[in-house]
Amino acid sequence: MPDDQSFDLAGCLDRVRKRDQRAASDLVEYLHPLVIRICRSHLPRRVAEEDLAQEIFLKMFTRIEQYQGSVPFTHWVSRIAVTTCIDHLRAQKRRPELRWADLSEREAEVLDSAITSENDVSPDDATEAKELVHKLLERLKPEDRMVIQYLDLEQKSVAEISALTGWNQTLVKVRAFRARRKLQRFYRELIEEERS
Amino acid sequence: MNDHEKAWQRLVKAARRAPGPTDDAAPFGFATRVAALAFESQRPPVSAFARLSLRAALVACLLALAAVGVNYSAIRAAFADDAAPAGIDDPVEEVVTIAS
Repeated sequence: MPDDQSFDLAGCLDRVRKRDQRAASDLVEYLHPLVIRICRSHLPRRVAEEDLAQEIFLKMFTRIEQYQGSVPFTHWVSRIAVTTCIDHLRAQKRRPELRWADLSEREAEVLDSAITSENDVSPDDATEAKELVHKLLERLKPEDRMVIQYLDLEQKSVAEISALTGWNQTLVKVRAFRARRKLQRFYRELIEEERS
Repeated sequence: MNDHEKAWQRLVKAARRAPGPTDDAAPFGFATRVAALAFESQRPPVSAFARLSLRAALVACLLALAAVGVNYSAIRAAFADDAAPAGIDDPVEEVVTIAS
């Protein structure tokens, strides 16, 4: 969410509707932190975050006349961002397989420790843990991946996810449940592969 | 919570601690470029007069073609008359004919 409370969003939107290019530029500057965070969280492989952000902003300007004000403007923009990310993730078609042999030595150690030890993963291994989590999430359907990403990594509530994505809360819960079951299956497969 | 779920929670807890990119501000020139692109792709629509003019020109072309089609035989006959032997109206030939 953009932090700048002094920004006159309503005035800026009025000027953008009157085709004021300076106001459009200000609006992009203001919304960039929000959009780039969504892009980074749900970035498909082989897509640059800046290209994705640009596509989202262009969609926003194309549809700006359709914004009725029924939801906060930032929520409306994040829904465009989420939909665009999902479209890109869907376009990848194949979701990569994840095998124990594909993991780096450190990643395998971190995963092994997470599975076997009751203790938390060491803070020194945070980067490897993040990489592992992303590799596991890449195997999920784009919508399921997005829900888990928001719930577990960004610790957002179901209500917040509903506002950001436009999906109703029941759908968010169903997707989370389904995604967790799939993640557990991937986990089991990985562990069985390691033990065999 | 089963063992797999606990392991997943330990992993995501560690993943949350991983450092990410800290700079969320737009790169230099990004906002200006995007704003320019946005307005370039949303050119104002063609004016009503221009649209009507184009339609009028199209209709005029179709009417001209239809007129040629309907009057084809008359046009062809006119060309055929023009191509008829010019001798009849030739005064020299007329004088020679009378003299002979």
